[in-house]
Amino acid sequence: MSTKSAGLAVKAGYTNVKVMLKGVPGWKKSGRHVVASTKHVKDGNIVLVDLRQSSAYEQGHIPRAYNVPFVDMEDLEDDLPSRKSAPVVFYGTGAEKAYKYVSKLGYKKTSVYQQGLDGWVAQGNTLATGAAPEEITWKRILGKGEVTVATFNKVADGESGSVILDVRTKDEVGSGMFANAIHVPLDEIQAKMSQVPKDKKVIVHCTTGARAEMAYKELKAAGFDAYYLVADIECEEGECEVADE
Amino acid sequence: MKKKMLKRFIPLVVCASFMVSGCQQAGQSAATDQAMKTASVVKKVEANVYKGKVVGVSNKAKTISIEVGKGDKAKTIMVKFNDQTKGVEHASKGHAAIIKYEVVGTDKIAVEVKPKLAKLPKGVTEVQPDYVAGLVTQGVEKGNYFLVDSRPAGRHHEGTVPSSVSIPVPKITKEGALAVLPKDKTRELIFYCGGPT
Repeated sequence: MSTKSAGLAVKAGYTNVKVMLKGVPGWKKSGRHVVASTKHVKDGNIVLVDLRQSSAYEQGHIPRAYNVPFVDMEDLEDDLPSRKSAPVVFYGTGAEKAYKYVSKLGYKKTSVYQQGLDGWVAQGNTLATGAAPEEITWKRILGKGEVTVATFNKVADGESGSVILDVRTKDEVGSGMFANAIHVPLDEIQAKMSQVPKDKKVIVHCTTGARAEMAYKELKAAGFDAYYLVADIECEEGECEVADE
Repeated sequence: MKKKMLKRFIPLVVCASFMVSGCQQAGQSAATDQAMKTASVVKKVEANVYKGKVVGVSNKAKTISIEVGKGDKAKTIMVKFNDQTKGVEHASKGHAAIIKYEVVGTDKIAVEVKPKLAKLPKGVTEVQPDYVAGLVTQGVEKGNYFLVDSRPAGRHHEGTVPSSVSIPVPKITKEGALAVLPKDKTRELIFYCGGPT
């Protein structure tokens, strides 16, 4: 952490050493934007948005960029992926305002590519030309232990060798459960671990994925072949389904 | 989420103050009572403390998952909380916390959650984001500062404070401060990372 580095600097003889203890989260909280590197713009799993007018975009833009002209910024609310973990990167005039707008919508990994088109080209990168894609397609990269919705649905449909573990509360389960699922609320997982089969793949779900991930870690630590699903689950009249992204 | 929690906490605070005034009417010293309570709690949980990064919080299941230990020995532990738990708002995913807990049956119940604050090494002062912003506006040359992002390089690429340089902690530890920092030892150096972790 930063205090360790600062301590090393003092030891090496530097006389004017400071630490911004609040770090990047504090910087963002103070209403300021963060900047993305060229490497991130080139290789990151991001939603890159060019804020210039369409005519300028078509003449030359950073490859993979979408085009939402700054004047239409508010369209972003509908256009962006519903997952707030999508890293949105802006370039072009108005990028800082767009950053603020989108951060307020809840996208926590938003950034500005401050070097912009000129910086991109100056570093020897090429531009793409032509019309913008009609809609933003972006896929989240699965985290460790996560399964896809398709995998989850197969198990919910009764695939053998696997079982679904529902860790929602008793109240939540009242409106329905998946077939092939067993129910142990997250807060009872330690006490009721013996109810979870050790000889099967265990795929955990809740309503969004947050509790599922916590239960997954508990099970994994206890030696289970565990996985979890990050997706919105909706149950009604005894039937459950994974909501489309 | 924080807002929700606050709302939940207000009635608690109100209840607590009623209880205290109730005690006084009954002729007891509320302060002594409170002190005794605190003392007994401290005694009971002295040995039961987890320090580490909070990796998950569920308000529905009233549980906190905290990662303790380093490297291969790191493990995630689940602690429950209830309406008596103090400082639950300090348990936030991705942030370091200190959890005092007591064991009740097979459960670990959090008594108090505190944010884990970083200690400043000798000769180092803390600056606020507003101060750094003032320098950033001037630019590196005019401001004559050297801003260091101590987080892993990947995090730096994703989003960082403008005009900063990426020097992850393992790099400065391995190569030494003199190799990675400016030659001028009087230049203003400002380090930061991912917040108090």
